[in-house]
Amino acid sequence: MRKVLVPLLLLPGAALAQQAGWGNVGQQEETGFSWTDPLWPSFWMAWTPATLAVFIGIFSAIAVIGLLEGFRYRDGIERKGILGLTTTLGDRLFISLLGSAWIFLAWLGLVGQPIWIPLFIAIGWGIFVFWKV
Amino acid sequence: MRTENQKAWFFVLPVLILVAFNALVPMMTVVNYSVQETFGNNQFFWQGLDWFEQILRSERFQAALGRQFLFTAIILAIEVPLGIIIALSMPRKGIWVSVCLVLMALPMLIPWNVVGAMWNIFALPKIGMLGYFMNDVLGIRYDMTQDPLAAWITIIVMDVWHWTSLVVLLCYAGLVSIPDAYYQAAKIDGASPWAVFRYIQLPKMKTVLTIAILLRFMDSFNIYTEPFVLTGGGPGNSTTLLSIDLVKIALGQFDLGPAAAMSLIYFAITLAVSWVFYVVMTKDDHR
Repeated sequence: MRKVLVPLLLLPGAALAQQAGWGNVGQQEETGFSWTDPLWPSFWMAWTPATLAVFIGIFSAIAVIGLLEGFRYRDGIERKGILGLTTTLGDRLFISLLGSAWIFLAWLGLVGQPIWIPLFIAIGWGIFVFWKV
Repeated sequence: MRTENQKAWFFVLPVLILVAFNALVPMMTVVNYSVQETFGNNQFFWQGLDWFEQILRSERFQAALGRQFLFTAIILAIEVPLGIIIALSMPRKGIWVSVCLVLMALPMLIPWNVVGAMWNIFALPKIGMLGYFMNDVLGIRYDMTQDPLAAWITIIVMDVWHWTSLVVLLCYAGLVSIPDAYYQAAKIDGASPWAVFRYIQLPKMKTVLTIAILLRFMDSFNIYTEPFVLTGGGPGNSTTLLSIDLVKIALGQFDLGPAAAMSLIYFAITLAVSWVFYVVMTKDDHR
C-alpha cells in the first residue's frame, strides 16, 4: 500500500514543477537571430549566416574586381610593384586573400584565438597589396 | 592588351558551370563544416576556429605534413633531372621515336590503384619478385611491411616509375620544337654539349618544364591512392602522408569538422606553393 501511496503524494509536486518550467528542460529555447546557428537546418551544406557572409564577401569582391577590370581599367591595368611582380587587380585580390588566410592560420597556430589582431594585420596586408604590390 | 572579341567567354561557360558544381559547392561545404561539429544526422553545432587551432598544433598533423614535404621533395629531385636526361637521350627521328613514346606512356595509362597493387605484390618479401630477389638472392633485408626505410624506398621508386614519363614526354615535346638552325649555329660556334644544353635546350624547355614541375608538385603533394594501396600508411605511421591521414580522420573517425579544417589548411599550402612556383617560373616572361 505504501508503495503506491508515496508516488501518489509526490504527484502534485511533480505537476507544480512542470508548471514552474521544469518541463522545458532539454527543449530548444527560442532565440533571436544568431550568426552561428544553422541557417537551413535540414540542408546538407550546413550553412550558417557567418560562413554565408564570408562567401558573399569573397564573391562580391571578385565581381567588383571583374567589373573594374572589364570596364573601367581596360588598358594599362598591369603594373610592376615593389615585390617585382607584374600584377593586375585580380592578381592583387588573390594575393591579399591568400595572404590573409595565411596570416590567420599562422596566428591560430602560433598564438591562438581570438583573432582580432590578425584581422587588423590582414586588413593592413590587403591595403598594402592593393597600394604597392 | 585589348581583346575585341568577347565571344570566347560563352564557350567557357559550360566549364564554369561544371566547375561550380564539382569544385565550388563541395569547397563551400568544407568551409562550412570546418567551423562546426557534427555527430551525424545532419545536425551541426558551431565550433568556431577551434578545429584549425587544434589541427595546426597537433603533432600528428605536423608529422604528416613533414612526411608529405619530404616525399614531394625527394620525388621532384629525382623525377625532374631523370626526366630531362631521358628526354635528351631519346631519338628525334626514325622508327624508334614511336617505340620510345609508347614505352614512356605505358606507366601513365595504368590506373593508380592498380599501380599500387602491382608494386605491393612486386615488393612483398617471399611473394614478390623484388622482395624475393632482395632478401633471398642478394641477402639484403628488405621488407616494406616491417621496415619504414624499405617502405619509403618502395613508394618513391613506385612514384618515379609511374610519373617520370610525364616529365619525359613534356620535355621531349619542348625539345623537338627546337629548330635545327639553333644546333647548326651551336656547331659552328663550337659549343660544348653542356653549352648546347644550358643555352639552347634548357631555355626552350623552360615553359614545358614549368608545367611539368607544377603538375608533379601538385600530384605528388596530393598523392593518395598509390601509397594507400601499397603500404596503407604503414608500417606504423611512417608512410602516412597528409592525404592518407586526412582520410583516416574524415572517414575512419568520421570527424568531419577537424577533417574539413585540415583539408582547408592542406589546400592553402598547395595553393601557396603552386602560386610561388608559378610566379618564380613566369617572372622572366613579363620583362
